[in-house]
Amino acid sequence: MNKIQTGSQLLPVYFKKIAFGIIITTVLFEALSYSKILMIDKELLNTISRSGILISLLLLALTRSKIEDELTLNIRIRAFAGSFAFGVGILIVEPFVNLIFDGSFSSDIGSTQLIMTMLCFYFLMFFKMKKNR
Amino acid sequence: MKNVIKIQRAIKDLTQEALAKKIGVSRQTINSIEKNRYVPSTILALKLSEVFDKNVNELFELEEND
Repeated sequence: MNKIQTGSQLLPVYFKKIAFGIIITTVLFEALSYSKILMIDKELLNTISRSGILISLLLLALTRSKIEDELTLNIRIRAFAGSFAFGVGILIVEPFVNLIFDGSFSSDIGSTQLIMTMLCFYFLMFFKMKKNR
Repeated sequence: MKNVIKIQRAIKDLTQEALAKKIGVSRQTINSIEKNRYVPSTILALKLSEVFDKNVNELFELEEND
């Protein structure tokens, strides 16, 4: 029988290769720009690297595993829920941390940072739960 | 929820890997079901009942706190 849960809306496994390809390209692009081989506007470079890393992390999060059964899907959902809660937690706690260290409530965290942290937390939870299943 | 998958598997002389292959899941999923860490979906329960030739409620039993 097929180990891929029918009805799962995840991307095929080969998208992992695409995601890693995007990460490598982004890093290469960044390296070429820092070594002055490629002259590019800093603002544009930041936008490209930010988008590249976010797209690749999102692709990795939405790509199915080689063996994707209902337990894996269950773990995936719990990891997504956990990372969402973690993101909300960061937004709530961060101003108070700033108050302690900077003396003001002003928030430093940007949307990109928040999404990246959430995605990284998702991967951490997903692999930890998958290992302990 | 309690289950007798491990016993039924022993009766049929199946390894976790072989059972997993028969119903299309990973070996870890069978292990989690046997250790009561994961309650399978209706589809998976029906597949297990087909493999062991038993009714679903012969394989799975509700506990007091369920």
